[in-house]
Amino acid sequence: MVAQAEGQEAPAGKATYDKWCAGCHGEEGAGDGVAATYMLPQPRDFTTALYQIRTTASGELPTDGDILRMIDEGMPGSAMPGWKDYLSNTERTDLVQYLKTFSRFFEDEVPPPVEYGGAPGVSEEGLAEGREFYDKIECWKCHGQAGRGDGPSAPTLEDDWDLPVRAADLTEGWNFNGGYTTEAIFSRLMTGLNGAPMPSFADLIDAEFMTEEQLWRVAQYVESLSPEMPEVREVVRAALVETLPATVDDPAWNQIERFYVPLVGQVIIEPRWFAPTVDGVWVQAAHDSERVALRFTWNDPSESPSAEWEEWRQRVVSVMQPTVETTVSTAEEEATGDGEPEVGELLPDALTVQFSTTIPEGMKRPYFLMGDQDEPVYLLNWSSGGDTSEALGRGMNAIEAIAGETVLVSESTFDEGQRRLLLSRALTLEGANRLVFETGRPIPMAIFAWDGSNGESGTQGAISTWYFLYLDQPTENITYVFPMLAVLLTAVLGVVIVTRAQRGAHGAGPGSGSD
Amino acid sequence: MVSVKRYLHHPFWQAILVLVVAYLLVEYGIPYLPPLIGISSAPVPQSVVLQYMLTVLAGILIWVSDNEERWARFRQPIYAALVDRDKKLLRVALMVAIPLLAGWLTFRAVRQTVAAPPSLRSIHPAPPSSITFRGETITLAGLGNPLRQDDSIAEAYAVGKRVYYQNCLPCHGDALSGDGHYAHGFMPTPLAFTGSGTIAQLTESFVFWRIAKGGPGLPREGTPWNSAMPAWEDILTADEIWSVIVFLYEQAGVSPRTWEEAEGPAEH
Amino acid sequence: MDHPLKQILALVVVLGISVATACGGGGGGETTDGEADGGAPAAAGSVVSPDSAATINGTVSFEGTAPAAEPIDMSEEPTCAEKHPDGAVRQQVAVTDGRLANVYVYVKSGLGDRAFPTPSAPVTLDQSGCRYSPHIVAIQAGQSLAIMNSDGILHNINTQPTENRGFNISQPVVMETSREFSRPEVMIPVKCDVHGWMQAFIGVQGHPYASVSGADGLFSLADLPPGEYEIEVWHELYGTQSQTVTIGVKETAEVSFTFNSDMAGNHVPMGEPLVLR
Repeated sequence: MVAQAEGQEAPAGKATYDKWCAGCHGEEGAGDGVAATYMLPQPRDFTTALYQIRTTASGELPTDGDILRMIDEGMPGSAMPGWKDYLSNTERTDLVQYLKTFSRFFEDEVPPPVEYGGAPGVSEEGLAEGREFYDKIECWKCHGQAGRGDGPSAPTLEDDWDLPVRAADLTEGWNFNGGYTTEAIFSRLMTGLNGAPMPSFADLIDAEFMTEEQLWRVAQYVESLSPEMPEVREVVRAALVETLPATVDDPAWNQIERFYVPLVGQVIIEPRWFAPTVDGVWVQAAHDSERVALRFTWNDPSESPSAEWEEWRQRVVSVMQPTVETTVSTAEEEATGDGEPEVGELLPDALTVQFSTTIPEGMKRPYFLMGDQDEPVYLLNWSSGGDTSEALGRGMNAIEAIAGETVLVSESTFDEGQRRLLLSRALTLEGANRLVFETGRPIPMAIFAWDGSNGESGTQGAISTWYFLYLDQPTENITYVFPMLAVLLTAVLGVVIVTRAQRGAHGAGPGSGSD
Repeated sequence: MVSVKRYLHHPFWQAILVLVVAYLLVEYGIPYLPPLIGISSAPVPQSVVLQYMLTVLAGILIWVSDNEERWARFRQPIYAALVDRDKKLLRVALMVAIPLLAGWLTFRAVRQTVAAPPSLRSIHPAPPSSITFRGETITLAGLGNPLRQDDSIAEAYAVGKRVYYQNCLPCHGDALSGDGHYAHGFMPTPLAFTGSGTIAQLTESFVFWRIAKGGPGLPREGTPWNSAMPAWEDILTADEIWSVIVFLYEQAGVSPRTWEEAEGPAEH
Repeated sequence: MDHPLKQILALVVVLGISVATACGGGGGGETTDGEADGGAPAAAGSVVSPDSAATINGTVSFEGTAPAAEPIDMSEEPTCAEKHPDGAVRQQVAVTDGRLANVYVYVKSGLGDRAFPTPSAPVTLDQSGCRYSPHIVAIQAGQSLAIMNSDGILHNINTQPTENRGFNISQPVVMETSREFSRPEVMIPVKCDVHGWMQAFIGVQGHPYASVSGADGLFSLADLPPGEYEIEVWHELYGTQSQTVTIGVKETAEVSFTFNSDMAGNHVPMGEPLVLR
């Protein structure tokens, strides 16, 4: 049995690897497959035997179980999918052995997993203690005060391959490479992420700076920062309110339902973008029968335009394929003799919300990617550079401003790695192609976002397909009249049936219906 | 025990039982049972549930009225509820509950709903007989994959693999199952190539047309305004597209539909 | 898989006398906060008889004008900025009076298959004023590396070897942690991800004959058995040079190496990945 396995395992693993893994990880496991530069984070280089998600101590080799877990579950937040539904048990366990042949480190002994006890029960005090240690061990240096990956060291982070790497946004646990259960987070804190800036904190327990329980508290606190992965709903409902929220951070927004719209890279027309920063936008909407107000909330660790993030932008742009045009031209840089462009040249953050120019009667809508020559779309553009405008889109590269007075009210704030934006407009505006927001009808809506500090602008940004905005109608009386009628009619019918039945049963004689 | 048995032999309670079981099957059985044996399923829309239940009710009524004695026994509890003096409480309760139920159902039907408009979409719309590819007319009918002619399959696979990984992967996924790391951002979701339902039913020229012209080249019934599929003729050469087609079939482990099959009785 | 040269270019910190013990004559003009213990190999042990022990003394010179030191902006870390009243600088090349410091020197070959005991005394790597001290560490395989944080603010010590297993550990307070490397490797980059400018290099040998040039450019490899040796010097920016030296019983040989700024484009070797195929 063993001899047989030894004779066959490696070739079997190789066939599976070559077919399913080599496209990203490369024939020789060096993380340099043909797709490698079309994603960030890039595929793992197995020749170094540096595996991020392990149960063994910082820097150590992973156990077979660790490698299998990565293959089975994939790496959320990256391009690595989980394979347990696609490859058989044998194929996956063979792969584990085959991956190990890429590095001679696996001739060394793999140490046993780091040992630790179970998690203490979650409590308010425990979470407060977790926060206390989040500050003490300075998690915020990279992950930020609110955990959104916007700490002061975040723009400079590089992995062992000198590639730019994001400090995890702790409020989006579903993107954690190793999962976001308390146990998974605790394991990351104990063992670190090999090859990445995330260190191990295990020595702090040995040094008696903190107890294991206190490190568990940090894990519980981190877990508490993230909600469950939001459900995606096709229709964003704009509540009918007496008074519209006046400002972007008006507490009235807390009463209004939030809808999550996931965004992904624009990989449809050239130049494409495979490394967007914004992976989703929360949308809230309200109207007061006169105006509609839309509030967009999204996480972006950089407040663009940002000189602090300029080096990050250059690094991202330099590693992403296909080669992209940089907004700050090299010639210009050379002319000024300075690699650091003026702050004024830095790219802003931007968001565009797109609607059809009229509410479609049938199924047909304009092309979701900013319209086309045949049918334009109506765009509301906001940029942290200061411009807010209405525009008409006939394709991503054919956007023209709608002339006339500014009718759009906008306000944005940025704090702790989060951008919040309020856009408001009258439901009805004069002029062609300016969408009239009607209540009670689904209005096609799409969202696009750009992070200037990540080198995003133009076609290179994050996009969504069509969703719908639905402005609530005032509840009409008829909504109550019909049910009342139904109750009444059914009741009368019931009385009639009962009365007749009883007449039949108790004889036709007078007084028999006195029941 | 005895009373339960008595109820089970009574046509009225049998009818009630059949109705309840039928409802549970339609509402919960259809969406949740098939996945237990690996078949995908979906909840039944409310209107269809109502249709199914009316059908079942009609069947029950036919059955109970089919035989005089059974009909009499079936009617007996209903009649009792309507007239028996000792069932007054039940009678009143029903006379309150039934109208309220009717009111609630009516309210559900007339209140404001915020569903997206229905999107009826043909996944494999009829292809045109010919297309213009970078200014060149290509007749699709009867056209095979030119790279499948000789022993160049391995090379085409290799080129196709590169093309796939650099272009198609984010949406269609590593496992060709339509669940790449960008798939969740698109509605409709990207197509899976595995299984018998998609490219296995199509000729290679159909796939060529879909890749070359992408979402914007779909006919109206394919809802071109929604599709995130790029028109790849702007990015890829014809050889690259034919190569990626070779790759798709090889990697997914399925065979293209041949023109002999396509011209047979099965319509496409 | 970028070459680490880019990092090196960006991140060199000036360093004081770090190798006084090994260099014998160390202790020149530089008076920054380096401690006089870093690169010192412990006594060679019993392998070499005191009657025959030989010594190689060397000088590392720098020709021409050294590049100007680039300032480091430590305003984000007042704790560290305070430790540099005159402003912290990135001194990629530490030149004093034509002598080059922070050059790693080691016996590359000639020792045959002699085995050497592991010194029991640890080698210290301190983090002080958001810089590593010493900047270049010479250590023996299996020897303890005592990593200290004198700053009391968060540093992470992220070692990036390719022939050893590295580690990436956190030190948010004044504390000390011990680690070791099991295989010889020239060189292991060390960085702090919190402070992108922090950079050190660790050279690991299977023997005690490695050192680092002091501020006066001097180094000494003592207690060598007589024989013929290849001596290599390694600089993070200017690459490597080597010479062959033959020494007899109780002899002292002199070697000298010279670097200049034209060598800035040279290949700077780092450990090779342990790839099977």
